[in-house]
Amino acid sequence: MPDVEMKPAESKQVEEEKPQEERKPVPVHPLAEIKSNVALIDRAVTTLEPRFTHRVLRTLTALRKRIDASILRNAVESIYSKGWIPAASDSEDQSMDVDAPSKPSLTDVVPEVEMYLRLLILYQLLKDEDNHATALDLANETVKKMQDLNRRSMDAIAAKVWMAVDRAYSANDLLPEARPLFLAAQRTASLRNDDEANAVLLNCLLNNYLSFDQPFPAQQLVSKATFPPSASNGQLARYHFYLGRIRAIQLNYTDAHTNLQQAIRRAPPAKTAPGFYQAIHKFFVIVELLMGDIPDRSIFRHEVLKKPLNAYFETVKAVRSGSLARFEETFNKHIYQFKEDNVFKLVLRLRQNVIKTGLRRLSLSYSRISLKDICVKLNLDSEENAEYVVTKAIRDGVIEGKMVHEQGWMECGSQKNGYGPEVSEVFGRRIAFCLDLHNQSVKAMRYPLNAHRKELAAAEGAREREKELAKEIQDGDLDDEDLGPEF
Amino acid sequence: MPLQYLQELRQAFNAKPSDLKKCTDLLLKLKLLLVEQNLLFPQENVPKDKLREAREVLEIGAFVSIRSRDLPAFDRYFAQLQTFYTDFVELERSEREYPIRGLNLIHLLTQNRIADFHITLESLDAEAILDNEYIKHPVNLERWLMEGSYSKVWNAREEAPAEEYKFFVNSLVGTIRNEIASCQETAYESLPLKDAATLLFFTNQSELLTFAQARAWEVNLSAGTIIFKRKDEEKMEIPKQRLISASLAYARELEQII
Repeated sequence: MPDVEMKPAESKQVEEEKPQEERKPVPVHPLAEIKSNVALIDRAVTTLEPRFTHRVLRTLTALRKRIDASILRNAVESIYSKGWIPAASDSEDQSMDVDAPSKPSLTDVVPEVEMYLRLLILYQLLKDEDNHATALDLANETVKKMQDLNRRSMDAIAAKVWMAVDRAYSANDLLPEARPLFLAAQRTASLRNDDEANAVLLNCLLNNYLSFDQPFPAQQLVSKATFPPSASNGQLARYHFYLGRIRAIQLNYTDAHTNLQQAIRRAPPAKTAPGFYQAIHKFFVIVELLMGDIPDRSIFRHEVLKKPLNAYFETVKAVRSGSLARFEETFNKHIYQFKEDNVFKLVLRLRQNVIKTGLRRLSLSYSRISLKDICVKLNLDSEENAEYVVTKAIRDGVIEGKMVHEQGWMECGSQKNGYGPEVSEVFGRRIAFCLDLHNQSVKAMRYPLNAHRKELAAAEGAREREKELAKEIQDGDLDDEDLGPEF
Repeated sequence: MPLQYLQELRQAFNAKPSDLKKCTDLLLKLKLLLVEQNLLFPQENVPKDKLREAREVLEIGAFVSIRSRDLPAFDRYFAQLQTFYTDFVELERSEREYPIRGLNLIHLLTQNRIADFHITLESLDAEAILDNEYIKHPVNLERWLMEGSYSKVWNAREEAPAEEYKFFVNSLVGTIRNEIASCQETAYESLPLKDAATLLFFTNQSELLTFAQARAWEVNLSAGTIIFKRKDEEKMEIPKQRLISASLAYARELEQII
């Protein structure tokens, strides 16, 4: 049933707002979807099977883009057949003091459904800037209610609610105020083994600290709190992203690189969440540069990344050329973007890498080069300085070679060959990754309940038959042909 | 808070040279008072002028601790001040804030705590890093140290933006000398004594010789050179332990898969 259901009067509003979205074939009308979701949640609660709730929440992102105030009103009206009219219906009647759902007339609706609807309303309010304050009120009230109810069957929805609460606070620019609330909730969640909420809250807190330039508490939090291993993929990706950023600030680039790579691998597809994808790549590129590597060219050709990463591409080119002047020029040109992206201080650290890359290039192409030439080629101030820079590079293992002070030149040694324990180490790391991937996927498989019984029964039957066979063989009244080709 | 103590403290601190002994005594009394009034770790709803006074006491304390070369005390003062700097946004910025933050940065730098240095740096505004002279100084020093421009560090050591920065000069010079020396050990085979002295910023030879002795360098006085022991061709050690454990791990995993 394609567009038949899309025609009712209330959806015209949607049509006006987002015409191109309307044209897409939408299989189920949002209202119907909300209703079926509510039924599913109900089933999840009554049968104690959280799987259904998860199924509902999987569609949340897609659904919340398609709903509008009137759909929500209809949904709420039909679910709570009398009484409560949601405030989301129109802007002047923002009676957000939603006390109605707790009225005794609604005993047949489980509280989880109410939370789900509150969640949808919250997202709806967040769409419009004028309603952000109202959203915050609703968020606070929902949190209180959620904590009062304290139901384990609500955990999955609660996690999503926390996410929306975080959004509400950030929309109102009140993130620092949210910290005590989140910290307390995170403690409770981790005590109750509520992995989903725990993961969401940890991420919210990390984001909160990092976006206010406070890596110190973020680092403390990471070292004290363990991220729940069973958290969803999206949360894990976010966590890896924040962790990568913290590690990069701590100069622990190798770990930062691993974390960011994990974040990229686990991130949703580039087209569904372009913002996140771009943000990780920005940090990824800088961290790769800081490690002394040059990022893959293909990153900058990627459809989603090409434009936003232009500044980074130019930085990479400058670092690769090893020219300090060019690097400074690029840096000053894009300084605002770097500040915006929170990578400003990381990019500042790149200076020394520019020199190192330049030196390495020189050491590869010359067998002997005078300090004066190094100065000229790398734009260094003085020969005296160049001597220190070169000796430091030799000590740090950036280049192979030695200084001859009397002659004022650097002799470059031969490069190491590509064999040795380091290679096996790298190879070992890759094998470990593959093995881990395999084990993870085995763990992630779901088996139907009680399936092993059938197998057991089959095995039992086989044994039975074997016994019979053995008996018959013993009796001697069986020819070889009867046993079939396997024997 | 009895104001006369604070006033006395200010006087003792501003006197030239400041009366460090008196300052320390007064600070002790004042800190006790702060604790009694719950101002050392202030909670919310404290009147602003009280906060300001508490902050001033701690700031003077930080400076005094540097002047009397008591670095652990400086660490403590800084940790206490951080609450005032980051959490009380409504309080106007103290003019001593950036000097103290800069001092902390240098302090981290001289102790070679580079990771901490960067974490602290990250909590500052980008503008402050670029424009504030108190912050710029340690930032530049760190950059030069990292890229190996030791002569720039040497030249900048006297250009401290505040009196207290000079207390760190000595340890800074020690740091760079050791850095240079370890670079030289790997980069040179031999070095004339005279050049070694210039490279290490020594003005006379005897200083150099004591330094060389401390690092166990071989000095050939007649030829006037220092000979650095070439580390023997690095022995290629096969990391047996690691290889064996890796192979065993593979075997175990394969077993599981099959």
